Amino acid sequence: MATTGNKNINAKLVLLGDVGAGKSSLVLRFVKGQFIEFQESTIGAAFFSQTLAVNDATVKFEIWDTAGQERYHSLAPMYYRGAAAAIIVYDITNQASFERAKKWVQELQAQGNPNMVMALAGNKADLPDARKVAAEEAQAYAQENGLFFMETSAKTAANVNDVFYEIAKRLPRVQPAQNPSGMVLMDRPAERVASASCCS
Amino acid sequence: MYGTQSKRDLALEFQSQIPILRPSIHARRANLTVKFQDLYGFTVEGNVDDVNVLNEVREKVRQQGRVWWALEASKGANWYLQPSISEGQSLKASLKLSAMANAITLKRLIRKGIPPVLRPKVWFSLSGAAKKKSTVPESYYNDLSKAVEGKVTPATRQIDHDLPRTFPGHPWLDTPEGHAALRRVLVGYSFRDSDVGYCQGLNYVAALLLLVMKTEEDAFWMLAVLLENVLVNDCYTTNLSGCHVEQRVFKDLLAKKMASHLEALDFDVSLVATEWFLCLFSKSLPSETTLRVWDVLFYEGAKVLFHVALAIFMMKEEQLLLTHHVGDVINIVQRTSHHLFDPDELLTVAFDKIGSMTTNTISKQRKKQEPAVMAELDQRFRRLNSIKVDDK
Ligand SMILES: Nc1nc2c(ncn2[C@@H]2O[C@H](COP(=O)(O)OP(=O)(O)OP(=O)(O)O)[C@@H](O)[C@H]2O)c(=O)[nH]1
Ligand SMILES: [Mg+2]
Repeated sequence: MATTGNKNINAKLVLLGDVGAGKSSLVLRFVKGQFIEFQESTIGAAFFSQTLAVNDATVKFEIWDTAGQERYHSLAPMYYRGAAAAIIVYDITNQASFERAKKWVQELQAQGNPNMVMALAGNKADLPDARKVAAEEAQAYAQENGLFFMETSAKTAANVNDVFYEIAKRLPRVQPAQNPSGMVLMDRPAERVASASCCS
Repeated sequence: MYGTQSKRDLALEFQSQIPILRPSIHARRANLTVKFQDLYGFTVEGNVDDVNVLNEVREKVRQQGRVWWALEASKGANWYLQPSISEGQSLKASLKLSAMANAITLKRLIRKGIPPVLRPKVWFSLSGAAKKKSTVPESYYNDLSKAVEGKVTPATRQIDHDLPRTFPGHPWLDTPEGHAALRRVLVGYSFRDSDVGYCQGLNYVAALLLLVMKTEEDAFWMLAVLLENVLVNDCYTTNLSGCHVEQRVFKDLLAKKMASHLEALDFDVSLVATEWFLCLFSKSLPSETTLRVWDVLFYEGAKVLFHVALAIFMMKEEQLLLTHHVGDVINIVQRTSHHLFDPDELLTVAFDKIGSMTTNTISKQRKKQEPAVMAELDQRFRRLNSIKVDDK
């Protein structure tokens, strides 16, 4: 959830998508500006944080990069619970990964936070010759489902930061009044109230 | 697998090197200065402090080696095999007594660490792998490897995808030879137990087993005994239900120690602990520290994972109690585990400070958690199915 305090916003963000779609690579590119040809497979999930300045606010993303293998999906609710944003990643050279992405969208719509900002990322856009998923198709799907869509490449860095910036811009700003204690800002007490209807 | 050197030569050579850590762990360190290769071939970069700690660890490994050699000299080369060899046989009282004394010595000794050179032999016999292997024809592994060669299944596809992504950059694992050996072990196992098939995470476990055991076949049997006897059932099957159970048990254990604060932060410990339990710490702790945990795991059982996981939290209790944010908790815990260069620092807390837990208590806890896990998984399954129906 996003919380604000002097325009400092903490936002939990989760990446979901098929095995090898490039979730970890996108995060690595965003957080460290790197790309590794052979990225270790993610087990459970990995945590990162990165801060972005958008307009007059600072958004600190707490990023959960989840594991893609099917059997790990039973762990997913723990990671998307309370998330302010999600990036659903597929590999444009792999049709099955696009189908998998749609399932994630459905699951999030059914049990995620209704205010969650969702992005659809068609990754590996640097491999146009191997393309299996048309950008138009994904764009149309995203539009129908209220997501914003971008094709990305963790390898060339194309559109990677843009996805995160776009998410940051779209985050609903939770009012500081919801955190009346005046203590150190935690994302919890206010969030409970704000998101009473969400989550699995 | 390391050419023509004998196992012992190789291990002795290893012993003279500085034990080091894996790059993924080390890359996160702020001021990187030195780069070196550890006991098991992982490249590590570290600052001066780290090098000092690692030198001390190397010296301790040497001393521990001398203790083991001295015991072999006085008690005979296979003295520690006695407890399992004598199993089920009626022994003279005096012999039983000496077996018991040996068992006590052994438990203490193992918690202090098995010298890398002895690991293959000690693990193989004490874990039950030797016994498991002895129940099938000698040619089992070779037959299995041949029989499954060239077969393509979802498991083999996933394995192939993960081979270059398993400890990339390791001087042996990340070679065609290393990939081929790891592939045969994982593919072989996926056919041995089709319920498990292949679960991501096992690649890291099997890779470390290969590095320790030195032969593919022994690594295969260690993997088998681990999944079939040492760990809780269904840790790696379809919905990881065994792993969910372990996480709940762990949460309860931690709650008794310190979780009230963490709960107030809405911090779910399984956010970090899931990977620990599935990779058996191989992605989180430095390699020699991981293997020290495995030394005890193979002798004392899966409860060891709880000891170690609790210890990581307890070591940073004071810091954790001051956190106000989930991200800070995770950063502290991850930084701590990645920098546990000195295995004794961790294991002392894990066994002396945590207090004793019996396998029996843990089993009871698991039984208690199972229904809730099953209900939760079932509920999610039905919810997802209903989405699909609505869709049509
Ligand atoms: N050409 C190209 N390759 C990419 C790109 N992004 C990732 N890859 C490669 O795809 C493979 C998988 O990438 P990961 O980032 O590990 O994928 P993941 O989604 O995190 O996979 P899991 O952790 O197993 O779920 C790696 O070998 C990457 O190098 C990209 O934009 N272009
Ligand atoms: Mg990943």
